Amino acid sequence: MDGESATVVVIGSGAGGAPLTHTLVRAGHRVVVLEKGPLLRTQAQSPGGLSDFKRDECFATGSEKRITVQGVANTGESFFSSHVEPDLNDEPHVYRDSDGRDRVTIEGYTAQVVGGGTQLYGGVSPRFTPEDLRLATLNASRGDLRDDPGGDVRREARDWPLDYAALEPYYTRAEELVGINGTWDGQAKVPSQDHYQPPLDPNPISAYAAAGMDALGMRRYRTPLAVITRDHAPSGRTVPADADSIKTAFVNRYGDPLGLKSNVWVSLLAPLREVNGSGGLDLRANCTVTHLEADGPRVTKVHYRDPGGRPRTISAGTVVVACSAIESVRLLQLSGLLDPAFDKRVDANGLLGRYFLTHCFGGAQCIVPERADKSRTLDSDWATDHCARPEWFRAQGLWAGGVIYNNTSDGALPLSLARTWHAMDMDNMWKGYLYDTGIVGNGFEDYLEDSFGRRLSVAFMANQVPQRENRIELHPSVTDKWGRPVAYIIKTWHPHDRALMDTLAEQCRQILVRGGDVRDVSSGSVGGSVVRIANHVLGGARFGTEPADSVLDPDCRAWNFDNLYVTDGAFMPTSGSANPTLTIEANSFRVGDVLLDRVGRT
Amino acid sequence: MKIEVIEKDDQYILNHCTKYLARESRDARHDFGQYAPGDDRAAICEAWRFPVVDAHWDGASAVSSYPYNDVTFVYDGRRAAPASVAVLGTFGPLHSPVPLRPLVFAGEATGFWAVTVRVPKGQVHTYKFAVDGAYVLDPVNPQRAVLDNGEPWSRFFTDACTVPLSLSRTERDLLGRLVRHLLPFRLDENRRLIRGVYESLDRAGRGEEFPLAYQLDDEVGTVNYIDKLIARQEQHNADDYHTCLKIIGEILRSRFGGLDPAAAPPDMYADLYRQMETEKVDGWDYSRYGSPRYFLLLLRRHAMTGAFVHPKHGGNSGAAGWMYLESRFRDARDTTLFDWRRALESPLGHNTDYRG
Repeated sequence: MDGESATVVVIGSGAGGAPLTHTLVRAGHRVVVLEKGPLLRTQAQSPGGLSDFKRDECFATGSEKRITVQGVANTGESFFSSHVEPDLNDEPHVYRDSDGRDRVTIEGYTAQVVGGGTQLYGGVSPRFTPEDLRLATLNASRGDLRDDPGGDVRREARDWPLDYAALEPYYTRAEELVGINGTWDGQAKVPSQDHYQPPLDPNPISAYAAAGMDALGMRRYRTPLAVITRDHAPSGRTVPADADSIKTAFVNRYGDPLGLKSNVWVSLLAPLREVNGSGGLDLRANCTVTHLEADGPRVTKVHYRDPGGRPRTISAGTVVVACSAIESVRLLQLSGLLDPAFDKRVDANGLLGRYFLTHCFGGAQCIVPERADKSRTLDSDWATDHCARPEWFRAQGLWAGGVIYNNTSDGALPLSLARTWHAMDMDNMWKGYLYDTGIVGNGFEDYLEDSFGRRLSVAFMANQVPQRENRIELHPSVTDKWGRPVAYIIKTWHPHDRALMDTLAEQCRQILVRGGDVRDVSSGSVGGSVVRIANHVLGGARFGTEPADSVLDPDCRAWNFDNLYVTDGAFMPTSGSANPTLTIEANSFRVGDVLLDRVGRT
Repeated sequence: MKIEVIEKDDQYILNHCTKYLARESRDARHDFGQYAPGDDRAAICEAWRFPVVDAHWDGASAVSSYPYNDVTFVYDGRRAAPASVAVLGTFGPLHSPVPLRPLVFAGEATGFWAVTVRVPKGQVHTYKFAVDGAYVLDPVNPQRAVLDNGEPWSRFFTDACTVPLSLSRTERDLLGRLVRHLLPFRLDENRRLIRGVYESLDRAGRGEEFPLAYQLDDEVGTVNYIDKLIARQEQHNADDYHTCLKIIGEILRSRFGGLDPAAAPPDMYADLYRQMETEKVDGWDYSRYGSPRYFLLLLRRHAMTGAFVHPKHGGNSGAAGWMYLESRFRDARDTTLFDWRRALESPLGHNTDYRG
């Protein structure tokens, strides 16, 4: 196999890699997709008739393991990874905590599996607003921004090198081809075509969130969710006769054995298997790319380990990196580590890894009087763009807004309830329940009475201020199972981020307070936590119009390379006011058209 | 005892091999205290996943498929490059080893070998590999059993196994009392509910609705769950149980006038629990185990999981934990507010689309 070549090699099969692969293969090209994780199939796809995903909470989140990485502050602590997350001792992410010490974290991964993070996520799929793509322009003359004495926000805000109108056709294409349910009425984003499938009936507990939004005059809409509710012609998927059986809490963080959740494997890649006489899509699962090799401005070879770990190479006309932001940056940095000339090209201005972004994230929760069956739910029912409107966030002294939506699947099943009790992040799994030692006997009864089917939460997702010092590096001492330095995440929150999060958390709290006869309302955000880095990993290789100010050009091509593209969330110069997956998919479709122009439309 | 070989494609098996076996580092990254120094298994991520025990589908129905597992044996021959590998075990006739086949990626051998066989649920088996004719233990699998003749063999067990593997009778009895205190089923009304739901079924109904149900008691199989957990994926916690149950047994015996702790009144367990919370337990031998609270937290996690886990893992016997929630929480029209059956496969649930 060594010495083989391909027109296009795509590294990573998730939201960044699959849409452009879909475009190229449909146009008659052969694309080799290298994916680090396994190919887990739905039961309809499996030759044995059983899915590789299970409706089993122990399968979704495994047994206890312990961190054995040496030289970090949390060596010896327990962790619980899912079946498609890497083992932390094999491939840890390390972050620098606020105390200056390094810790290993499960945060910052998307799933390592064909389909990537779209296999495990809850499917919340809003578009970004037009304002999200022009935050520099929008804030250029602002002098009223809160908690920004140094003027960082105005200085660091960036417009995207394309506007909403340019991205809109690709949003539409993504919504059509991926398969999304929801409603448009009430959204701040305007579609040119409505490809939404109808939503399922909301879970009764969502009525409190809806009432709260109504009481506050917030226009609401059914949250766009990447779950099909009708037969989906573009991907050939069909739904059960009893469509209501789709609505199961085994969606968010589980992986869907029936393929109804519109991850990019079932929606975009699997339908390609028969295209071009089966020769178009060459999907190689369980293959870890170790580094890229270049000759001047052209990437010439992709070095990878096959499923047995044997080193292999493939040469490519065009290489697309889409491993999720942290791992994409790391791959480029690892390639630079082995070749100073590569490093000089990919990181000419020292920006690779810089301006790493996540989302401002938080919300509120409460106990509602009427219990609901939360096992009959998808991830969210109602959303509002009220706080994404410029008039709202300007009035608050904020640079940008955010989307708010209610959660329905959190704590829906008994083990997921206990595992995430008081958990602020994935690293805290089980700790809240374990240390709450009053949950025993009668206390267990009280705990269930208050918590099971009665906890309602509302979350917000909003732009984080880009900061140059927030960055991804290679860790100086910790290596993965192949001996390569692991990703080192260095990140803080800007004071304006905290102001924004406090404001939006209060909005979420108000929704619940106004939603009915609720009690024990609390609110908060990740503003006090460094560790919470996993709620969407973005930035680190932002695109822009100026080579001195960006890593990628407007087509997501590395500035000093002819044939190297980055298409996961790393390209984002700002993180948007909503969950990013649909935008990553839309942009990948856009880059797919760019690549079609490059390799030829057949 | 005919061996039924199940055809699995290489993709299915490689999906397990790469993440857990393929690596360059030989560091003991995955040793949490369960392996002796130098044991190769310490370098392998989640060695306990081998052999792979998975659901079975016969292509006909969930009811006829449910009693079986597909068990996939994997041999890592990347370094030794053997010419032949077979597996011999108690799941089939001991005179007929089952050959493993080389796994291929993109037309080339990977060095991994594998075969899948059908094995009934609820069983424990021992096996060895025949590598170029020489019998060896499975170098990956952490489970081993020493037979009566003193010979070590590799071991595996299938889903819903009720054969004791890790804990002695005394340990199980004591653990049952401790777990009972932690879970909600000890309350009289809940106990009536659990027993009432199960005992209202006739014999045929039990077989259909709760195949492989086991020890439906106040712990709903949690002790069995822990027994299996520390035999396999959390083997590194086995010593904690053996050591602490011994200490606890001694303490309770001394407090209960030298009588069997399993018969001690509930208050004695509640007192012990409260003391363990504070790390100050009268009579605890801290030189043998430093933190009774640590063990209590371990036990809490395992008890909660064992009570509400999928029954195939050995706890939540007959889905009793889920039935408790199903019955406990109902709306004004007496419709359940935890309709778990619709999500799960027959015969456990009644979803007709999902096969398990």
